[in-house]
Amino acid sequence: MRPQTLTQKIYTRTAGRRHVEVGEELVVRPDRIMTQQWPGYLESFIGHLKDRHGTDAVLDPDRYVVFIDHLVTRGDRDEDEQRAASVEWAKRTGVHIHDRIGIGHQVAAEMGYAVPGALVVHQDPHISGIGAFGSLGLGLFRRLLEPWTTGELVTTVPGSVRIELVGALPANVDGRDVLHHLIHRHGPDGFLGQVLEIGGPGLSSMTLADRQSLCGMVVFTGAESAVMDQDETALDFVEPLARTPVEAVTGDPHAEFIDRIEVDLGQVSPMVALPGSSVAEHIVPIGDAVGTPVQRGYIGSCSSGRYEDLEAAAKILAGRRVAPGFGLVVVPTSEAIRARAERSGLVALLSAAGATVAGSSCDHCYGYAGPLLDDQTCISSGVLNVRGRMGSTRSEIYLGSAQTVAASALAGVLSDPRDPGLLA
Amino acid sequence: MSPVTLSGRVAWVFPDHFDVDQIVGVDNIRNSDPGVLRAACMASFAPDFAATVGAGDLLVAGRNFGYGHPHDQGMNAMISLGVAGVVAESFAPMFARSWEFLGLPLLACPGISAAVRRGDELTVEWEDGLVGVTRTGATLRGIPPSAGAVATVRAGGWVALSLERTTGRPGRLGERDDGGGTG
Repeated sequence: MRPQTLTQKIYTRTAGRRHVEVGEELVVRPDRIMTQQWPGYLESFIGHLKDRHGTDAVLDPDRYVVFIDHLVTRGDRDEDEQRAASVEWAKRTGVHIHDRIGIGHQVAAEMGYAVPGALVVHQDPHISGIGAFGSLGLGLFRRLLEPWTTGELVTTVPGSVRIELVGALPANVDGRDVLHHLIHRHGPDGFLGQVLEIGGPGLSSMTLADRQSLCGMVVFTGAESAVMDQDETALDFVEPLARTPVEAVTGDPHAEFIDRIEVDLGQVSPMVALPGSSVAEHIVPIGDAVGTPVQRGYIGSCSSGRYEDLEAAAKILAGRRVAPGFGLVVVPTSEAIRARAERSGLVALLSAAGATVAGSSCDHCYGYAGPLLDDQTCISSGVLNVRGRMGSTRSEIYLGSAQTVAASALAGVLSDPRDPGLLA
Repeated sequence: MSPVTLSGRVAWVFPDHFDVDQIVGVDNIRNSDPGVLRAACMASFAPDFAATVGAGDLLVAGRNFGYGHPHDQGMNAMISLGVAGVVAESFAPMFARSWEFLGLPLLACPGISAAVRRGDELTVEWEDGLVGVTRTGATLRGIPPSAGAVATVRAGGWVALSLERTTGRPGRLGERDDGGGTG
C-alpha cells in the first residue's frame, strides 16, 4: 500500500477506509463537532434540527462541543438570555458546553479534545490552532450544519506540504512572525487548499503558544489547516487532559508531499500586517512601519494571548509605562491562563504598566468590547484587520505579535520589539 | 436531471485575493436588510452596478476568490441581484465550501481572468468544467466540480439535498438558511 501523509491517515481512519488518495471525495466522521454560541450558528443549527427534523437533539451528543466565548462582556439581558438558552439546551441534550472559560480554540486543548490524530470540525477556521497537538481542525463556516445534522461531512482529501523547521526563533520573535514570514514568502494562496504538516528539528524550540499561534492563522496562507509533529512538550500537555487515549501520530516515511519547504526560524524577524488584510504586499518587516502613530493596543485572541505571550509582553513592559493616553488591553486566551498570570504576578505587572487585563473572551477581537473609535489606529495581536473589524470603519488595524504590541504601546508608535533597550 | 449549464453576462471581473466583504463595504457587513445590501452592492466601485445586473449574470475572479473571513452579505447581495455563479482562477477553500453548500455553482478555471472582460457573454457547462466566451469564440477548460458539489448544486443547496435524501422528495430549490456572519 502506498505510504500516506499524516493528513491522509486522519481521513483514512475517519472515513473507515484502509487508504485514501489526495483529491478523493469521501464521507468522514469527525471525532468532534464544535461551534461557538452565536445567533447565526448555534441558534440556527438548533433551529434547523427542530424545524426540519422535529427534534433539537443531536444524534451522538458526546461528539458535540459548544463554547460560550462570544457575546459575553456586556452583561446585559440579551447576553444572559442567550447564554441561558444555550446552557439549558446543552444540558438537556447531553452536548458538552464550556461557558465563559476562554476562547474555544484554546479551551478545546485545555479540556482534552485536542488529541493527536483527532479530526475536529468547527465553523471557525482558527480551530486549526489545535494542529499544535497533532489534531486536524477544519473550519467549515455555515457548512458545519452538515456534520451538525448528520454527524458526517462530505469532503475531499487535501494534499499536504511538509514544512521543516530548523534553528530557533530570536528573542522577541514569535509564532505570529513565522506565519507572516510564510505569507510574505509564499503569498496568501501559496498553500491553497492544502494542509501544512509542520515538524523538523526547530519545532522543539517553539513554545506551545508559538505553535498554536502559527497553526491557528494558516487560513491566511490559503491553507485548509495545519498539523504538527508531536514532541515531548506537546504530549506532556495533552496526556493529563485527554478524554481519549493518546498516541503520537505521524505520516508514513516516503509519503508524497506536494512540496517540501524549509523555514530557518533564526531568519524570522518581526513583521506586521498593514491595515486592510493579510495579503502578501501588506506583510512588511516592522522596520518599514516603525514610527506610525498608534493609540490603541490589543494583546489577546485565539492566536496570541497565551501565558507565554503575556510573559513576553510583561518583560517588555516591566517597570515601564504605556505612552500617555495609549489604551492597551490584554485579554488572556483562557481563564486558566488568566488565573496563572494572576498567581505569577504577570497581571499585576501588566496593570502597573497601564494595561487593562480583561476576562477571557473573543469580544475585543471583533469590536464588540472596547470598540475602536473614529480615526484611531490599533496595533493588534487579533486575527483580522479588515476595516471596521474592531469598531469604527474609520479606524485602522495593524497586526503583529504580542511583543510588537507591547513595544509599540510604550512608544505610542509602531516599534521593533528587538530594540536593545527593550531586550535588557 | 439535466446538467447545470449557466449562460449569462459577466457582471464584474474581480482581482486576485478579493475580499468579498468589499462587495457591500465594511459598513454593511453586519446588515441583513436585502434592500440595503442590494443598493450597497459594488457601490464604491461602480455606482450604477445594481442597475446593470440581470438575472443569470456571472462573476469572474482571479486567484483565491473569497480570501479572509468572508461574511455572507456581499454574495447574498449579488445573488439577490440575479448573479447565478462564479468562475475564478481559484477559490479560498472555506469560501468555496460554504457557497457550494448553499447551492451556488462555482468553477475554478485557470486563465479565466485574462480571457474575459466585464460585459462578455459566457456559456458555462458547469458539470464538465467548460467555459465558452462568445466574444472571442474561445473555450476554456476548468476543473470539473466533484460529484458531491454537483448533487448539492442540482438540489439547490445542501439543506434541500438532505431533505430529498430524508424524504425522497425534492427540496425547495434555492432554499437558503441565512443569518451567518461571525465574530
